[in-house]
Amino acid sequence: MIQFILLISRQGKTRLKKWFVPCPERDQFRTIKEVSSLILSRSPKVCNFLEWRDYKLCYKRYASLFFIACVEGNDNELLALETVHHFVECLDRYFGNVCELDLIFNFHKAYYILDEILISGELQESSKRAVLHHISEQDAMMQENEQAKRKG
Amino acid sequence: MLGHDASFAYIHAVKLTHEKNLFAKRIGYLTCNLFLHRDHELMLLLINTMQRDLQSANHIEVCSALASVCRLVNVEMIPAISPLVFKLLNHPQEAVRKKAVIAVHKFFKIVPETVLDQKDQIRKVLCDPDPSVMGASLHVLCEIAKAHPAASKDLVPSFVSILKQITEHRLPRDFDYHRMPAPWLQVKLLSILGVLGTADKATSEHMYEILQECMRRADSGVNVGYAIIYECVKCITKIFPDHGLLELAASNISRFISSENHNLRYLGVTGLAQIVQVSPAYAAEHQMVVVDCLEDPDETLKRKTLDLLFRMTNPQNVVVVVDKLSFHLRTSVDSHLRRDLAQKITSLAERFAPDNEWYVNTMNTVFELSGELVPAETAYNLMRLVAEGTGEDDAADNAFRVFAVNTYLKAGRQMLCKNTYPDRGVPGREN
Repeated sequence: MIQFILLISRQGKTRLKKWFVPCPERDQFRTIKEVSSLILSRSPKVCNFLEWRDYKLCYKRYASLFFIACVEGNDNELLALETVHHFVECLDRYFGNVCELDLIFNFHKAYYILDEILISGELQESSKRAVLHHISEQDAMMQENEQAKRKG
Repeated sequence: MLGHDASFAYIHAVKLTHEKNLFAKRIGYLTCNLFLHRDHELMLLLINTMQRDLQSANHIEVCSALASVCRLVNVEMIPAISPLVFKLLNHPQEAVRKKAVIAVHKFFKIVPETVLDQKDQIRKVLCDPDPSVMGASLHVLCEIAKAHPAASKDLVPSFVSILKQITEHRLPRDFDYHRMPAPWLQVKLLSILGVLGTADKATSEHMYEILQECMRRADSGVNVGYAIIYECVKCITKIFPDHGLLELAASNISRFISSENHNLRYLGVTGLAQIVQVSPAYAAEHQMVVVDCLEDPDETLKRKTLDLLFRMTNPQNVVVVVDKLSFHLRTSVDSHLRRDLAQKITSLAERFAPDNEWYVNTMNTVFELSGELVPAETAYNLMRLVAEGTGEDDAADNAFRVFAVNTYLKAGRQMLCKNTYPDRGVPGREN
């Protein structure tokens, strides 16, 4: 299963982090620092997998963001990369040509989409259409609630 | 999230989840998911809200609560929450059923007994008409299969038939990802089949045909196809060996290992390491490529190649392999890698040493380079060998003891300067 997902910018700022195993805050920050320094120093010509402690880090760079997924030793690494790519494609469909700014200003929506795709470290939905359908249902319901609140 | 402490806000997040307003509720749950963890003291406040939301009529509230359950549940909460979740396995909305199944998966990891009592319900989910729900049930079934393989063997025909349906494109088009039908489901099914077919000829025979078909169809030139092929290779090396399938797996791996793409080379090396464990003959044709990978500037590839070399060792090439491993032990700085290398060299030396002098020399090198990472039994074994000899030939044994004592005297002198040896030289001097 996936242990955590991290999005960091080229300068090392965290844009999104989601841990699927319990991990105290201090350890999370220590891990983020270690992992970012390891990955930001990799050259573009090497493979996208890295062994770190007992786990494997699968990362991919999309424009100015690094998407990192940490998987266990016996997981399929190429599939983890594809999971990350699936997440990026959903973000792209939802925001329409997504860029880092979209993720900065709408990070809560990015988390909602991540929650629809990955739960407890495993992929729950591999159909982009279903993911976006659920998210738009939830958005519509939230908007209805907002309008009702404003009227009432 | 960006490093500022936000603990003042946690209690407000919990209060938000009590709100009726869906917007506030979702934000409350999201914040709790991000900041709380299962042993946090505010969890008690959340349990009641989650129980209420799990029974709510609004399926979106149920979904938010289920997502939090998956993230935050702990041992004390399970008796309270699990009956509600099991009831939700029959909810009309497939999104709810899907999340409920994954919550069940989480329960299994924490307290397996809760789930094993309800095995029949979970098996029913496997036959769910919605493919996403069926896919989610595979995660639980995989864990159950790993824990109790014998009990799950009767499901093998169902898994094989589901895999067949997927590869024949019988799922809705939405599940196609880059023209590959439902790759995640395929990989998960393959890993379950691998677990269930281990060392069992009858069960494995059911799978040979579908494995061949799966590998053939996955060969499409997309990354996802390669991922499926890699998983097939892993499965083939785990189940009862079949010559034809191993040939097919080996030919695919040769393609990976000689490709330009770094990721494919990595997968090729890892796959070859697993094939070699089942049948060492396949390693011979790729020895040159493996040596090339060892000189590659990519750190990850080098490590994987060292792992492959370790598995490929036999009495003929042990000296060369241990040389390479010692060289990397000397030059590397990462403590995990060094401990790993020290263990590998020790185990190879104990299994395949061509003669005792070489064994002593190799062990001395390991102690010198990484003494603190080697367990004490290794040193005791070595000392026992020196003290008792091999029992075959007294004269040879004596000569060996003299040789060992000389090397330790030399090392002892160096130790007085460097202080890296944990007191090994002393027993040698007694002789």
